[in-house]
Amino acid sequence: MLFLLQVVNGLTVGSLYALMALGLTMVYGVLRVLHIAHGAVFTLGAYGGLWAYWLTGSFWAALLGATAVAVGAGLAMERWVYYPLLAKPPIAALIASIGVFIGLEEVYRIVAGPQPYSFDVGLALPDLRAGAFALTGPQLLVALVTGASLIALWLFLTRTALGLALRATSQDREMAGTCGMNVRRVVALTFAIGSALAGVAGMLVGIYYNSVSPTMGSVVAYKGLAIIVLGGLGSIPGTVLGGLVVGVVETLLISLVEFPLPRDAWAFLAMIVVFLVRPQGLLGR
Amino acid sequence: MTRWMTLTLVLVVGLAGALTPPSVAAQETVRIGFFAPLTGFAAADGASAKHSAEIALEEINAAGGLRGKRVELVIYDDRHDSKEAVALATKLVERDNVVGVVSGSYSMPSRVTSPIYAKAGLPMVVAYAVHPDVTKAGPCVFRNGFLGQVEGAAGAEAAVKLSKAKRIAVLTIDNDFGRVASKAFIERAKKLGAEILSEQVYPLGEKEFGPYLTKLKDQPIDLIYHTSYYNEGSQIARKAREFGIRAAMEGTEGIDSPKFLELAGPAAEGVTFTTNFNRDDLSPAVQGFLRKFKAKVGVEADMVGASTYDAMKILARGITEGGTDAKAICAALTNLRDFQGITGKISRFVQGEIMKPVQIQVVRDGKFRSFGVIDNPEVITPPAQ
Repeated sequence: MLFLLQVVNGLTVGSLYALMALGLTMVYGVLRVLHIAHGAVFTLGAYGGLWAYWLTGSFWAALLGATAVAVGAGLAMERWVYYPLLAKPPIAALIASIGVFIGLEEVYRIVAGPQPYSFDVGLALPDLRAGAFALTGPQLLVALVTGASLIALWLFLTRTALGLALRATSQDREMAGTCGMNVRRVVALTFAIGSALAGVAGMLVGIYYNSVSPTMGSVVAYKGLAIIVLGGLGSIPGTVLGGLVVGVVETLLISLVEFPLPRDAWAFLAMIVVFLVRPQGLLGR
Repeated sequence: MTRWMTLTLVLVVGLAGALTPPSVAAQETVRIGFFAPLTGFAAADGASAKHSAEIALEEINAAGGLRGKRVELVIYDDRHDSKEAVALATKLVERDNVVGVVSGSYSMPSRVTSPIYAKAGLPMVVAYAVHPDVTKAGPCVFRNGFLGQVEGAAGAEAAVKLSKAKRIAVLTIDNDFGRVASKAFIERAKKLGAEILSEQVYPLGEKEFGPYLTKLKDQPIDLIYHTSYYNEGSQIARKAREFGIRAAMEGTEGIDSPKFLELAGPAAEGVTFTTNFNRDDLSPAVQGFLRKFKAKVGVEADMVGASTYDAMKILARGITEGGTDAKAICAALTNLRDFQGITGKISRFVQGEIMKPVQIQVVRDGKFRSFGVIDNPEVITPPAQ
């Protein structure tokens, strides 16, 4: 039973990881760029959600606010950072992305202050209990929001023409363009969707830990990389699986091994092993 | 020709005058150096320290200054950066003509600069930095905060004697302070007859305590002792409540901050912790500081602020007794007895380490209240180094 409860803990953290990393893998899919600044979009989502919540006192308005600012930030980065650098070697976009990430973190620190804010939406979901097994209210919230986001994403990708265009562009950008798709618009759409997911993830993490701070996005910026490599660069199901695997493995190792190896280390160990054994990742092509 | 010579002479004299004002100014004022992290991740604590130092300064000057001279603070921002701290320590020593230094900063900047002040012969009073090495730099470095050993042992006294805990779980943050405090806690708690059922170590900055607390869920534990700062401490309290864990919780001065109350929310209720600041002390000095801090800053005062205020007052006492001569200030502070600060009555300094009672505070109705005092000399006497 203890083991099962730890798996639930791990899946909760893992689904947050998956939500954070989806935008990274989608952007990599269409641009072949590591979008480090995605972490800053995630943080902005948390602040945007908090701000909207302060103004309105409504959870749904906060969700809308978080999504809106995140999408705005993602589109702005695509337009003014990645697009102008598209013709340059990929390292230029990577370095620019790191620069944007660090710069934005400092901006958040200057504007909002270095201290964390609490994000208490007073959303009291009931615990689900079955004998000794329990899914607590906050864990249920994470499960519901992540589940809904993933289902929406899956429906979009598989049931709409735009979703098809996105997948096609991700497979081969030039070919998709040759076939008459507006690649530029598809790239922007990818940023919008990935950033919306990051905004939702930022707000969810803020509520789950009741804490919004300028540096909360760093976990996305570095661990997200390990997760998308593990899952297979550019693979959306792979990223979800990678996030869940990292969450569960971290949690189980903490509970089994009495040694304070920073939890982040495990994800990177997994990443190195994947590079050595299966470079295309768990579900990569 | 003579006209040019006169002009040159005037310029040279003027320049010389412009370049040497500190020595002239030093005649009329007493200058005290101060550094704290005013920007960067620790800026909240830095601001608390700075405002509190300024409150102490205003009080000192309102009471006529020190030895008839006005007191000035030379304030620097170390950004919690060792390089920055070293550079500004050199400035304080070489250029600013200060008679002593107060650190309103964390262990790292305090630790790298205390040897510089010690070498220059400047007295240094450290407000709340906990690293043991800070005071080892020389005989003239004094610390107003507790060592980890003292706080851990006092925490055990509080857990076993005040909270009546018999079966205890320990969660240790993986840094110097956390390890030292938890070790002292475990030793003392065992000595007092309590049983330690679980010892877990977690990394600094940990957010997800599910894995750690799930293990404690169905154990017969009376109390969870955690060494933590307000970020981790509030997550521990929230997660324990989420899991329905009913054991009492005890922390350290790391959670002595209004941010702990904000981030932990209702889960903070009933949490106790060791600290040096008792807000329920009705003495005019404590209540006056609380009032002035609230009026100046707009939030409630915390341990960092109160400790920095006291550090200023300790150095001021040294100057009152010893004048502006560094050796005389050191001697005065080394021989200090029964000094009443707002963070308690200091019996004396032992090799620069403070000896005063440890306060136990509790969160009640969203406020920090007094839970008890540990003044057993066996526990609060700083260990010889």
